[in-house]
Amino acid sequence: MPIDDTIYAYSVGRVRALETRLLDQSRFERMIDAASGEEALKVLSETDYAAAVTELNDVHDFEYMLSAELKNIFDLIRDISPRPEMIATLALRYDVHNLKVLFKAKYLGVKTDLLIPVGTVDLNKLEYAVNEDDYRDFPGDLRQAAENINEDFLVNRDPQIIDLILDQVLYKQLITLAGEYNSAFLEGLFIRQIDLTNLKTLIRVKRMGLDREFLKKVLLPHGSLPADRLISLTDEPLESMITALNMSEYADLIEEGVREWLEKGTASRFEKLADDYITAYLKKGKWKAFALEPLVGYLWAKEIEIKNIRIVMVGKINQLPAEAIKERIRNVYL
Amino acid sequence: MTGTEIALIGAALAVGLAGIGSAIGVGIVGQSAAGLVTEDPDKFGQTLLLQALPGTQGIYGLLAGFLIMQEVGVIGDAPMLVLESAQGYAFLMASIPIAIVGLVSGIYQGRVSGAAVGLVAKRPEELGKGIVYAVMVETYAVLALLATILLLFGIDVNG
Repeated sequence: MPIDDTIYAYSVGRVRALETRLLDQSRFERMIDAASGEEALKVLSETDYAAAVTELNDVHDFEYMLSAELKNIFDLIRDISPRPEMIATLALRYDVHNLKVLFKAKYLGVKTDLLIPVGTVDLNKLEYAVNEDDYRDFPGDLRQAAENINEDFLVNRDPQIIDLILDQVLYKQLITLAGEYNSAFLEGLFIRQIDLTNLKTLIRVKRMGLDREFLKKVLLPHGSLPADRLISLTDEPLESMITALNMSEYADLIEEGVREWLEKGTASRFEKLADDYITAYLKKGKWKAFALEPLVGYLWAKEIEIKNIRIVMVGKINQLPAEAIKERIRNVYL
Repeated sequence: MTGTEIALIGAALAVGLAGIGSAIGVGIVGQSAAGLVTEDPDKFGQTLLLQALPGTQGIYGLLAGFLIMQEVGVIGDAPMLVLESAQGYAFLMASIPIAIVGLVSGIYQGRVSGAAVGLVAKRPEELGKGIVYAVMVETYAVLALLATILLLFGIDVNG
């Protein structure tokens, strides 16, 4: 027994109550079967989203509702967690997302409303920093990365480089923090996310016909799939790739997701399976009574729920067939 | 130290350690329950029941302490006994089972009950099963109390 894991008693008790209010698969099915976007929202108004739904003036505004919900949940979990700094590691991803959006907006000269107000750095501060090229307030690695992006972009003019540099910093930072907090659970989560990102990069590189040298540069370190093994797969056909990786944890994901991606050209199956994979990993720790796992699991469950609502709403508004929406819906955490 | 003083250390340990066990146990469940009730106030009654479970070790400790005090004559009408060291140590030893098992089982029963709060959050109708799990831990506190009582009754204070 660790000295005092019961510091989690309150927060886990609270999360247990919150978990019961997550939307289940049948609720999403009802939303999908609804006749229109408005009807789908009506189904949503029977749930905890009721108050937020009534405030919507237009069905197209659901994005604001989801973004506010995500922020509320992150704030809540951070507040009730005995180790808020560990929850904050999960918000870092949003800082990086916002930075990517801001950098791209700056170089393409457009305004953006894709920012997500969940990160650890205030959005106004981020916006100011990027616009004024002043990254003094950023934590060490991020600052270095932001400066690199500026230099790199002036030379290469390639927006992809923004994503690459920032992802490298993000995951390096996450792995370092997981080590600092001595959390094998968080480290396991981040390693899996790195693996999934690397697999995605590999397929992209394959499809774009780029060479090994490029892949070598962009693969994230610290994953459980060795980089040289992934690099050696660049020129291999799909079948041998499946064989090569079928001993790894990702066999099913590759078999099904990668096949569809390479054969039909859509990544949506892969993306769904990748999310489901993380959900399955987090579900393993769900029933710990005194631990960080249920808190992180609930946060992820909420992110997936919000993603699912978005998929359904976008599908309904654009009148996609029900089957097409159903295929994209992520497994719920319940 | 006189035998009487040593016997009273036994009483203090029984009440003190078993009480600490219960306090920690009840404290853990209280935190879990407060988390649940923040979101779902209707669960107060059920969680209170779970919180009470790890409280018994403290009561057993107090019972053992009372028995020692009575036999030694600290309470009651009989005059206080003057005990040999050996007799005093016998009382101290007799208090050990409930003192140690009370401390440890109180904490673990609290952990089980705290987990059962999560069970009640999701399936309130299964409260009974949560209680049964916690009561399994209780068994060992009861056995320890039994051992303590048998030992106490076996001590000959007049010889």
